[in-house]
Amino acid sequence: MNLKMKLSIRVRHMLEGYIFILPWIVGFLLFMAIPLGRSFYYAFHRLEPSEHGLVATFVGFTYFRQAFTTDVDFLPLLQKTMTAMVTQVPLILVFAMFSALLLNKASRGKVFFRGVFFLPVIIASGAILRELLDQGAAKLPIFVQYDLFRKLAFFIPEQILEPVLEYADSLTLVMWDSGVQILIFLAGLQTISPILYEAAKCDGATKWEVFWKITFPMIMPMILVNTLFSIVNSFTKTDNHVMNHLMNIVFRNNDYGYGSAIGWLYFLFIFIVLGIIFLIFRKSMATAEGRA
Amino acid sequence: MERIQSMARRQLLLKPGTQDRWKITMVKRTRSVMGTIIYYLVMLSLSFVFLYPLLYIISRSFMTSVDVANATVQWIPTHLSFANYRIAMEQIHYWPGFANSAIISFGSAFLQILSCSLVGYGFARFRFPGRGLWMALLLFTFLVPPQTIVVPLYLFFSDIPFLHMNWINTHLPFVVPSLFGHGLKGALFVLIFIQFYRRLPHVLEEAARIDGAGPVRTYWKIMFPLARPAMLVVFLFSVVWHWNDVFEPTTYLTVPDFFNLAQNMATFNGSADAQMGQMAQSVSSSQAIGMPPTLMNQIMAAVMLTIIPILLLYLFVQRYFVESIENSGIAGE
Repeated sequence: MNLKMKLSIRVRHMLEGYIFILPWIVGFLLFMAIPLGRSFYYAFHRLEPSEHGLVATFVGFTYFRQAFTTDVDFLPLLQKTMTAMVTQVPLILVFAMFSALLLNKASRGKVFFRGVFFLPVIIASGAILRELLDQGAAKLPIFVQYDLFRKLAFFIPEQILEPVLEYADSLTLVMWDSGVQILIFLAGLQTISPILYEAAKCDGATKWEVFWKITFPMIMPMILVNTLFSIVNSFTKTDNHVMNHLMNIVFRNNDYGYGSAIGWLYFLFIFIVLGIIFLIFRKSMATAEGRA
Repeated sequence: MERIQSMARRQLLLKPGTQDRWKITMVKRTRSVMGTIIYYLVMLSLSFVFLYPLLYIISRSFMTSVDVANATVQWIPTHLSFANYRIAMEQIHYWPGFANSAIISFGSAFLQILSCSLVGYGFARFRFPGRGLWMALLLFTFLVPPQTIVVPLYLFFSDIPFLHMNWINTHLPFVVPSLFGHGLKGALFVLIFIQFYRRLPHVLEEAARIDGAGPVRTYWKIMFPLARPAMLVVFLFSVVWHWNDVFEPTTYLTVPDFFNLAQNMATFNGSADAQMGQMAQSVSSSQAIGMPPTLMNQIMAAVMLTIIPILLLYLFVQRYFVESIENSGIAGE
């Protein structure tokens, strides 16, 4: 009590703040900082079990060299993940934006449609999604049923048609993946003041102009949030191949050192991608603010 | 004379004018009707894509294997067969798996609500040195893939320093990080609470302070109960993601007794695949063409059994959920 009286209000306020976030800081050290540091250490060491627990011997950059030279799976899998990310994330964003705009229109059945649009987050995730993929349920039957491939092959050369149809096949996955993003866009759209739309209407702006001059700049922050979320999601999904590769190394081969090295490489790779995204968005965010 | 003429002319002029106006309103109305029809067509077809996996699972899970193989049976089974559910129930060890899943998801969700809300409040309402740094680290935590730190965490949980305990094959590796605001997507939940608390008016806390409540009491009695929308969002996300997660369970739960439902289902799928392979080999090729062996209906029944609890939960909270998302400021400022 005596101590409390002596502290100035500002110091007390600071201490109170730290008391609130203290659990998180402890958790951060225990479950993030220390493991991260240890996995960095493991990445440079060979770990062998002995009667005194794991014994580490320093091996330098051997594991990193191994990942790029002797491991035949790592680089192709990384490339696969990267292509999946580059092709799917823009589609997810466009689709989520489109759906959010549709859902935002006040109409009958709003509650029903919202419930349905979010349904894939509940069912098409994790183990269940993997099961559905295994059974071929992730593909809409229209392409198979109407024999689209052979019909279109009359007009379009096969070399172009095949990747296009493959792309179309993955569309269902894109749509199922965008549940959370739709919700974030929807919440963002609700924060835009209707006054802006009224003003634009008075000035004779068309709907197309209104979208690009008001809606789009106003939900720019949500686009950034969604981009980051989608990228992180696509890198850590259950059907991600790099992840399965890593789990095989660690738990089937018991190669902890190499597993850590690959984990770190993957992490650095993700970080570079996210850094690029941040740079792109900083520019466009700045211009959006400048216009407003 | 002239006046009359001009009046008549004016009336004549007026008449086509009114007709035009009527025409315009009619065109507008038909256009809006067309718009509504197109709108609902688009919405319904999108809904179909979203409902497709669920419909697929339900329809397949009630089919007999004859129906699955029969090309003329598309959606509706020739007769309802509950046998799949009976077999799947046994195969995936439903009730033990259900108990494990429930403890992990509901326990973690509950603890994450408590801890993430506390931390979120601290970040949202207090200014202290190092706040920016900790916020940056919070974002960083969200971005680090769990694969990077899985090895040290596994070793950590298999032999806790100082306590010398083995937490592998217990529920503790899931529940304990949640207690500290970490665990599966913990950083995201903290961010949701930060955004929510930021929007609440300061007047409430000031009133409580003037009435003599300390910061902890202000938080617990005034602010925490107000965060119900954010709590609902975090609760549903946390339960669903824990329920469907296979990565962490396969790491920390290695004995079948402790498997959760998702793991049991994956195991069943693997064994069913192997069985199908054997069946395909044992029947002669001519028979195989007539009736390809499949256990897909049983697998789909297993999937249905796994998702039914969270599906019911979602049906129950769905209405409040979307409203909460709008109120909780998940989208940021």
